[in-house]
Amino acid sequence: MKPAPFHYHRPSTIEEAIGILARHGSDAKPIAGGQSLGPMLNMRLARPAHVVDLNDLVELDYVRGAADWIEIGAMTRHHRVATAPEIARDFPLLAAAAATIGHYPIRQRGTLGGSLVHADPAAQLPLIAVLTNAVVLVRGPNGPREIAAAEFFQSVMTVSLASDELVTAVRFPRPPVATGWGFELFSRRRGDFAMVAVAAMLAPVGSSGVEALIALGGIGPKPLRLAPIAERLDAGSTSWAGRIASQMAALEIEDDKFIPAAFRRELASSLTEQALLAAAARMQRAHT
Amino acid sequence: MTERQMISLTVNGQVHEVAVEPRRLLSDVLRDDLGLTGTHVGCEHGVCGACTILIDDQPARSCLTYAVQMEGHEVTTIEAIGRDGLSPFQQAMHEEHGLQCGFCTPGIIMTFEAYLRDNPNPDEAEIRDVLSGNLCRCTGYQPIVAAVLKAAARQREERQ
Amino acid sequence: MSQAGPFHYIGKPLLRKEDRRLLTGHGRYVDDIVVPGALHACFVRSPHAHARIINIDTAAAREMPGVVAIVTGRDMEQWTTKLRLAPPIEGLEPVEFTALPIDKVRFHGDPVACVVAADRYAAEDAMERIEVEYEVLPAIATLEAALAPDAVKVDDDLSSNLVSHQTFSGGDPAGRARDAHRIVEASFYLHRHTHVPMETRGCAAIWDEGREHLTMLTGNQAPHPLRSQLASRLKLSESQITVNTADVGGAFGQKITLYREELTVAALARELKRPVRWREDRSENLMAASHARENLCKTRAAVDKNGRILSLELELVEDFGGYCFYPANYMSRVVAMILTGPYKIADYAFDVKIALTNKCGNGPMRAPMAITSWVMDGTIEAVARELGLDSVAVRRANLLQPDDLPYRMATGELLEDVTPAETLEMVVDAIGYDDFRARQAEARQQGKYLGLGLCVVIESTTYGSGFYKAAGIPGSGHEAAWVRIEPSGAVNAAVGLGATGQGYETSLAHAVAEGLGVDPTQVRLHIGNTDIAPYGMGSRGGRGGTAGGGALYLCAQKARAQVLAIAAHRLGMNSGAELRMLDGRVQRLIGNDWGDAGLSLVDIARQAYLDPTSLPDGIDPGLDFSLTFDPPPMTYSNSTHACEIEIDVKTGALQILRYVVAEDCGTVLNPHVVRGQQQGAVAMGLSGSLLEQVVYDANGQNLTATFADYLVATACEVPEIEILHNNTPNRRTPGGMKGMAEGGVMGSIGAISNAVNDALAPFGVVADRQPLSPQYLHGLLRSARTSS
Repeated sequence: MKPAPFHYHRPSTIEEAIGILARHGSDAKPIAGGQSLGPMLNMRLARPAHVVDLNDLVELDYVRGAADWIEIGAMTRHHRVATAPEIARDFPLLAAAAATIGHYPIRQRGTLGGSLVHADPAAQLPLIAVLTNAVVLVRGPNGPREIAAAEFFQSVMTVSLASDELVTAVRFPRPPVATGWGFELFSRRRGDFAMVAVAAMLAPVGSSGVEALIALGGIGPKPLRLAPIAERLDAGSTSWAGRIASQMAALEIEDDKFIPAAFRRELASSLTEQALLAAAARMQRAHT
Repeated sequence: MTERQMISLTVNGQVHEVAVEPRRLLSDVLRDDLGLTGTHVGCEHGVCGACTILIDDQPARSCLTYAVQMEGHEVTTIEAIGRDGLSPFQQAMHEEHGLQCGFCTPGIIMTFEAYLRDNPNPDEAEIRDVLSGNLCRCTGYQPIVAAVLKAAARQREERQ
Repeated sequence: MSQAGPFHYIGKPLLRKEDRRLLTGHGRYVDDIVVPGALHACFVRSPHAHARIINIDTAAAREMPGVVAIVTGRDMEQWTTKLRLAPPIEGLEPVEFTALPIDKVRFHGDPVACVVAADRYAAEDAMERIEVEYEVLPAIATLEAALAPDAVKVDDDLSSNLVSHQTFSGGDPAGRARDAHRIVEASFYLHRHTHVPMETRGCAAIWDEGREHLTMLTGNQAPHPLRSQLASRLKLSESQITVNTADVGGAFGQKITLYREELTVAALARELKRPVRWREDRSENLMAASHARENLCKTRAAVDKNGRILSLELELVEDFGGYCFYPANYMSRVVAMILTGPYKIADYAFDVKIALTNKCGNGPMRAPMAITSWVMDGTIEAVARELGLDSVAVRRANLLQPDDLPYRMATGELLEDVTPAETLEMVVDAIGYDDFRARQAEARQQGKYLGLGLCVVIESTTYGSGFYKAAGIPGSGHEAAWVRIEPSGAVNAAVGLGATGQGYETSLAHAVAEGLGVDPTQVRLHIGNTDIAPYGMGSRGGRGGTAGGGALYLCAQKARAQVLAIAAHRLGMNSGAELRMLDGRVQRLIGNDWGDAGLSLVDIARQAYLDPTSLPDGIDPGLDFSLTFDPPPMTYSNSTHACEIEIDVKTGALQILRYVVAEDCGTVLNPHVVRGQQQGAVAMGLSGSLLEQVVYDANGQNLTATFADYLVATACEVPEIEILHNNTPNRRTPGGMKGMAEGGVMGSIGAISNAVNDALAPFGVVADRQPLSPQYLHGLLRSARTSS
């Protein structure tokens, strides 16, 4: 289990990195934390002729807050996302999700940008990006551009990123005050990719309304966001259940080599219910 | 094959000049080029944790790291731990029978040397979460958890 | 023979001697040993489950940088003999195969060529350039396919895929069934596992052309039998080979036999006259080292209305994979032999079939008889279920009581000095069985589904030569030891086991210490080098403590007798009968008290080596002792496991709330080591029952060749394991040792399934397969919903 040969590049600036990527096109592959690409290289499932190491781009390791969003640099490690005080305070759902990625040593190396570009359909950070309609900030030879998370993720391990482009940061919309959240990840073992993961946010709308955002990971080729559900605050659980069930029923879920679709579908429903219950409890706590 | 390149590696405070192919795993360079065989290789795809070392004082998989990447960084391996007598965690592992075949042990030591430094008062659930990144086939983990708790308590006492 | 204490050293909680080097990164596993100039071997493996090898084109690969040699089965045929396994066992077909396959491959991962290169990187580069042309054959991927009437044959030399078929009947099971109140049938499928030692297989072979001598560095449980196999396959004498195993990163049964890869590496070192080493990667280990289990058992129990089992019939079919590195009947026959275990069942029959399939070959894995206790206690559960009885009551009605012992099972196996009834009551009490039903009912009201499962285990541990003889397997169960007291009084000892993490350097030091009368810290064990240790049968089953510890204990007693005879002579006494040695000092019985006699082991050693003419008549110079020891045909330990779980019926998730074991493993050499084995065995059993599974698809493709797919339990899935002790000595072994370390696997497999079925009882479904994955449990619950 040893990688095929590759040339190694270690740019010290973003521009230099983009230049190398532009020169080698699809023969080049950036490496960030290496926690997903490393195994693929070692198993020769990925065999780029050029590996471009982004670890010197320390300017991409940051957490920056603004009025409407929290921006996190692409080279920010999962451990920092999981533990940064400003994220824990303002976007605890993201911190909670990041804390479940892999294992402690993996989180010391793995990066936000790496996770997004790797685009495993069951991964946590793509799920939160899709849930929140985050914006992926990208830079290429022609300068920066912004891509909505929903467009960024195309399919299994496929994103809309040119071979000479780099993800530089992700801008997460700041959740409204008093938002309740829930995150449920179901896997066989601690640290494994989810069989199904569900992230949910409940945000108050006006004095008597509430809007639910729900996204699911692990059930299709990319994270899926359900259409937002607006309800009266005092709506009964059957009303919620009916509106969620109709959307769930429309999801296309396929059997895979280990997990029957029927199981995955029911698991998704059950985790969604749990995530919403957790979100409701948190929203209530925020109110009182 | 690609050209070998000379790199300068700082391991356990010592600087080594080695010629490596860029694809060469840090785990292989530590073991075969530097003779630091305490770092074990159990899967080479980042799951088992046997090869865990410290990069700039934080635990990382040496099998998912290429040695060329380590220029300008400090690598610490099991050989640096307990040179002048067992560390509190190593001693607790000994007392609690936290190892049998010992193959996974260096990776576990490295993980918790760093973790206990930053988290002096972990509870059992937190310890198990961190330990979940290291597979052990012999012990059933229970004595390792006990060893972490014991080492943490001792370290807290020492700091008081 | 047994002297079961009181002991001075046996049973003391000495911390392990092995730990310091392993904790500081100074262990010496095979790959840590520098072999100057060693080349690296790497194996090209079949991508097909079953295919004819038409052609292997290595020309392009030979041109790759760093490549030294590439060999195939044809080359190996010139340098090695075939492996022929043809023990005179009724019902077992003889098999024979070459070092590497020549005509066809039999499983996904079968090695077809070996590249030798400067390093593993260069070898893997070259492997990609080797073109193997295959003619793909239909793959036999299931037991049903293997045993179908016109099935394609996995081994063309056999008459069918049924490589072994054995039957037995004792008493009159059919007659008893006719008179029974009810016949209860149950089924159990234990899936395919693999051992997963954290250190994969590997070796380094060094050929000394001048001395014509091969040194084989490897990790192995049975170094001397390995040396015998190497000698025979390489057409060398056993005196031309040294097998040396230093530290070993776990084995669990995977490192016993001589593998084809190791043989290839050894042959290449000799042919190339250069050292060659090999370390398999994790994917190779998961795919192509050795697999285990995958057996389907069906029982028919004839019962009376109180749940008393009048007779029992077992049908067992095992999926053995593509190659027989062991006699194919070896593991399953033990299951059948000891199935009735702790229960009084005089009328018993079995039918055991072993089938070849296009999968990696099976071998013994920690608890080769793993399924036994699940099948037996699962049958007890089925009886209780069908008759509406409490399962503990059914156990009590059938269990061997102290008065029943010694008890000869229907198969002839002799049980004595076991305590199944006692350990059952201990766990029933500890886990609060009597209160549980109320708690369970209350929890169900709240939609929580608790389950409690028990499993009573009789664990066969030490197989003496008598067992092999009875089973028709040529071989021995003896063990060999030497003890040497050096001129300085230093104590060295050796035994023919292979240490793979059990802590022998510590636990066996207790046995020597006790026999001789010195502190265990003063005893140094030398294990694993065939030039140093005596020829023993190695570590397998639970024999280390009983066979190895027993041999050392007896040998050390022999040493002590001579030391005390010399001491008596010096003290002017007629014999050593009123002397003893403690902590290396000779003591003399004066009245009722032992007092220091003014002599130490150091004094005696000095005399024995430096002043031998002063030794008493009949005593030879030096202090050098050896012996061999054949344990009883079989020793048994026993235990009862109890496990409380909760199943989330919405997700199928299973959580273990509590796990308790009461165990009787006889005399304990070192309590730390024994506890470690008990907890480790339960953890391995639970990991297998809940998570692990080797999966082949319908074409025989292995889908679980990474650690992302073959799931070994982490610290978050293994519960705390509480151990209760009920140790009683075995009367026939030195020191009363019984052996242990596998019962935890047997008991946990049974307890967890019994707990699941207890939790699922309200839904009227029965989990009769493992692993107990959420998708499986959820599927059962779905089926219950659709059928109701």
